[in-house]
Amino acid sequence: MKKTSVLLADDHTLIRAGLRMVVDAEPDLTVVGEASDGREAVAMAGKLNPDVVVMDIGMPSLNGIEASRQIRAALPDTQVVMLSMHSDEGYVLRALKAGAKAYLLKDSAEADLARAIRAATAGKSFFSPAVGQVLLEDYMRRLQRTGGEDSYELLTPREREILQLVAEGKSSKEIANLLNLSVYTVETHRARLMQKLNLRSVPEVILYAVRKGIIS
Amino acid sequence: MAKLSETADTGAWREPTPPSSKLRWLFLCVSVLLLALLLVSRVLAVRFLSEMHTQELAATRALAERTRALSGLWLSIQGYDQAVQQFVAQTAADRDAEARRHLDRLTLEIDADFDRYPSVRDSEEDALLNGMRGVFSQQRTFYITILAARPAERRRRAESMLAEHLVSVQKQILDWSGRLQVWNSKRLQRADRGLVIQFTNLQGSLSRVLAIGFGSGLLLVLGSMAYIVRLDRQTRARYVELARSRHALQQLSARLVDAQETERRAISRELHDEVGQSLGALLVDIGRLSTTLSGDHPEVKTQLDNLKSVAERTVQTVRNIALLLRPSMLDDLGLAAALEWQGREVSRRSEIEVSVESESVPEDLPDEYKIYIYRLVQEALNNAVRHSGARNAKVVVEQLAKSIVVRVTDDGRGFDPDRSRGMGILGMEERVKRLGGTLRVESQPGKGATVVADLPIPGGGNA
Repeated sequence: MKKTSVLLADDHTLIRAGLRMVVDAEPDLTVVGEASDGREAVAMAGKLNPDVVVMDIGMPSLNGIEASRQIRAALPDTQVVMLSMHSDEGYVLRALKAGAKAYLLKDSAEADLARAIRAATAGKSFFSPAVGQVLLEDYMRRLQRTGGEDSYELLTPREREILQLVAEGKSSKEIANLLNLSVYTVETHRARLMQKLNLRSVPEVILYAVRKGIIS
Repeated sequence: MAKLSETADTGAWREPTPPSSKLRWLFLCVSVLLLALLLVSRVLAVRFLSEMHTQELAATRALAERTRALSGLWLSIQGYDQAVQQFVAQTAADRDAEARRHLDRLTLEIDADFDRYPSVRDSEEDALLNGMRGVFSQQRTFYITILAARPAERRRRAESMLAEHLVSVQKQILDWSGRLQVWNSKRLQRADRGLVIQFTNLQGSLSRVLAIGFGSGLLLVLGSMAYIVRLDRQTRARYVELARSRHALQQLSARLVDAQETERRAISRELHDEVGQSLGALLVDIGRLSTTLSGDHPEVKTQLDNLKSVAERTVQTVRNIALLLRPSMLDDLGLAAALEWQGREVSRRSEIEVSVESESVPEDLPDEYKIYIYRLVQEALNNAVRHSGARNAKVVVEQLAKSIVVRVTDDGRGFDPDRSRGMGILGMEERVKRLGGTLRVESQPGKGATVVADLPIPGGGNA
C-alpha cells in the first residue's frame, strides 16, 4: 500500500523533529520533506507534491495561512493540516478559508496528528477537541449576553443533515447521491440553511458545525 | 540649561520669573520727558506770543494817542491864533474884556492839551514837546504884549507884526509837531523792530526746542526699534528653541513608544521561540513516551501525565505572556483578525461583550500602524473593562477617503474627559500623535464613552 506522503513546515527544528517522529511512527505515513518557513514550504510542496502538508500557522517570511492558500491553489489534491497555538475562531476561520482541512492545537498535536492527517487525506475535516470546546464556549456566551437565539433550532431535520455533510467537506453532488436527492434540491437546502444561520461560506459552515459539536 | 536641570532636580514645576526690563522703564521716562518738554515749550510760546501781541497793541495805541493829542494841540493853537487875530482886528473896546477872557480860556485849554499829551515819554520826546511848548509860550508872550496895547494902537502896529510873526510861529509849531510826528512813527518802527527781534528769538528757541524734541524723539524711536528688533529676535529664537525642544520631546516619547514595542516584540519572540518551542518539543516527547509506554508501567504513565500537565500549564502561561507582549495574530493574520481576537479575548475574560467591525481595514498597513491601532484598541478596551462597568463595547476601524478612523465605544458609566485623563489616554494620544493623527475622547457621566482616533492614511501626502 502506498504510504501517505507528508511535508512538515515549521520554523522550529525541535518541533519538526518531534513531529517527524510522530509521523514516522505510523506505518501508513511517511515524511518526505521539512520546510522551515512558508516560502520554502510552498516551493517544496511544488517539487514533492505531497499528499498532506502539516503547516505551522505562524512562520517567518510567509505565514502558514498564506502558504496554505498558495499550495491549495497550485495543488488542489494536496491537503493542509494546520498547526496552531490558538483556538481562537479568527484563526480557525482563516485557516479554513485558506483551504486547510484540519486544525490542530500544537499542545495536542502528537496525540491527534496521525488522525488529522488521515482525515485530511480522506477529504474530511478534523479539529482538536479543545478547539471545538473554545468555539462553543464563545458562541454560547455571545448568545447568552446578547440575548440572541440559537438558530440551529430553526433548521429542519433535512437541513441539519445537509449541514453536517457540507461541514464534513462533501460536495453538493456527493450529498445528492448519498441522500438520493437531486443536486438542485441539495443546493436549495444548503442555501436556505446558510441563510438561516447567517453563514456566508463553507468555512463558516464548518466553523459553525465544529462550534455546535456536529463534527469534530 | 542649568535652570532646566535644577527644575528636574527638585521635581516640581515652578513658574519661572521673567527677566526684569530696566530698559523698558528708561524708554517710558524718556518718552514722558519728551512729551513734557514739548508741552512746556508750547505753553511758553503761547504766552510769549500773547505778550508780543499786547506790546504791539500798546505801541499802536501809544501812536494813536499821540497823533490824536498832537492834532488836538494843533487845532487848539490855530484856534487861539484865530482868536488873537480877531481880537486884534476888532475895535470895540467894550468887548475887550470878554475877548480877553476868551483868550485866557483858550490858553488854559492849550495848557490842558499839553498836559493831556501822554505822560509816558522819554527825554527826546520830552525835549520835542517842550520845544513846541516853548514856541507857544514865546508866541503867547508876544501876543500878550500886543494885547496889552489899546485898540487903535493895536490895530496899527499889530497887523503888520502879526502878519510876519504869526506865519513864522505857525511854521515853527508845525515844524515841532512834524518832528514829534516823525519821532512817533520812528518809535513805532522801533517797537516793531523790537517785536521782530523778539519774534526771531522766539522762532530760534522754538526751533531749538523742536530740534531737541525731534532729535530725542528720533533717538527714542531708534532705541525702541532696536529694542523691538532685539525682543523680536529673542522671541524668534525662543520660539525656535521651544519648537525644537517640543519636537525633541515628541521624538523622545515616540522613541520611547517605539522602544517599548521593539523590546516587547523581542521578549515575546524570545519567549515564544525559545521557551515556548522547547516546552512544545518537550510536550511532544512526553506524549510520544507516554504512547510508547502505554499499559506497561501504569505508575510511570501517571508521572508522565503529571509532567505533561505541568508542561502544558507552563506553555499556556508563557504563551499568554508572549501574546500580551506582542500579539502574534498581527503577524500571522493581520490587523482585522488580531482586533477580532482581542475583542473575543476581552469578551472571554470580562463582563463586556465586544463586537469588532474591521473589514474595511487594508491589510497592507505599515507595521507601526498595525501595532499602534492594536494598542489603542487594547488600551481603550482595558479602560472600559477596568472603569466603565459597561455591558457592551464596539470597536470600529474603517478606512475613509482621507483617514483611517478607529472608534471604541462602550455603554458604561462614562466620565468627564476634561477631568480624568489617565496615563492610558496619554499613552493613546502619544501613539496617535506618532502617526500624525488626532485623538478625541467623548464621554459624559452616565452616557458611556467613545475614543476616536483619526489617523492619516499612511504614505498619503504627509509622509
